[in-house]
Amino acid sequence: MTEMEPREAGIDHLLRRSMAAPVPSLPPNFDQRLMGQLRQRSPVLNRYGLILLTGYGLISAVTSAVVMRGQGLGWGAIAVMILGPLALVATVPWAWRASGTITRRHAR
Amino acid sequence: MERARNGDQLAFAELFRRHSAQVFRLAVSILGREFIPEAEDVTQDVFLKAHRAIRSFRGDAEFSSWIYRIAFNQAMNVKARVRFRSPHTDEAVLSQAVTLEPGPDRQVETAQRDHALTECIRTLPEVYQSALRLYYWLGAGVDEAAVLLGVPENTVKSYLHRARQLLHGMLKEKGYSCD
Repeated sequence: MTEMEPREAGIDHLLRRSMAAPVPSLPPNFDQRLMGQLRQRSPVLNRYGLILLTGYGLISAVTSAVVMRGQGLGWGAIAVMILGPLALVATVPWAWRASGTITRRHAR
Repeated sequence: MERARNGDQLAFAELFRRHSAQVFRLAVSILGREFIPEAEDVTQDVFLKAHRAIRSFRGDAEFSSWIYRIAFNQAMNVKARVRFRSPHTDEAVLSQAVTLEPGPDRQVETAQRDHALTECIRTLPEVYQSALRLYYWLGAGVDEAAVLLGVPENTVKSYLHRARQLLHGMLKEKGYSCD
């Protein structure tokens, strides 16, 4: 109980009565739901795997660019052909997360 | 804590088990009882954020203070988004549901005063609202409210004192007696 002036006692009583309502709690399966989400988002690659994949990606991109340039393609077309699929792949996790949020809401 | 930082899922699950109820209480105290599903979402998002950022947690502060701070900010962001959306349950209806005054006239009068009080509470600064909900609705002591809001106990007492004074004045202005 906090210290109260006499005139505060009335509003204190009013607040106690007016705010008396069942106290909510988390649903029983909430921790399983969260741990499921965490497993989905856990990093699949460790540091070594990440370096390896980045190196592979860079070398592939440079090699592809050189080969495509050798075939007479312009730099604009080469950039689109390399960065286009990359952008597509980058949007997948975002779309996955967005659909997960929608599914979560529908599951309620 | 160290195990959770090194990616041990079981250790993180234990941190979740220890703090989830408090994070949820804090979220509910900020969002109010009309937005309980959103408070569940906040709780989930807080732990997902904490899981992503746990490596950057330096351990200067308590894990609980860190996670309550994330929860506070997340709940405030959600509150700003849902402010104009119609609530799942009207707070005033919930207040009326627990009205136990005898006689229909008295019940109407009490319901009107409770509704006015609810409206007045919504105009208070966010931390005052949160302190009031923690103390009067969720049954938290001043010590628990202080931990959740990340302020000293005396500050919570001052929030409650100031909130009561403001509400008293506002209700009087609207023509309701507080006695």
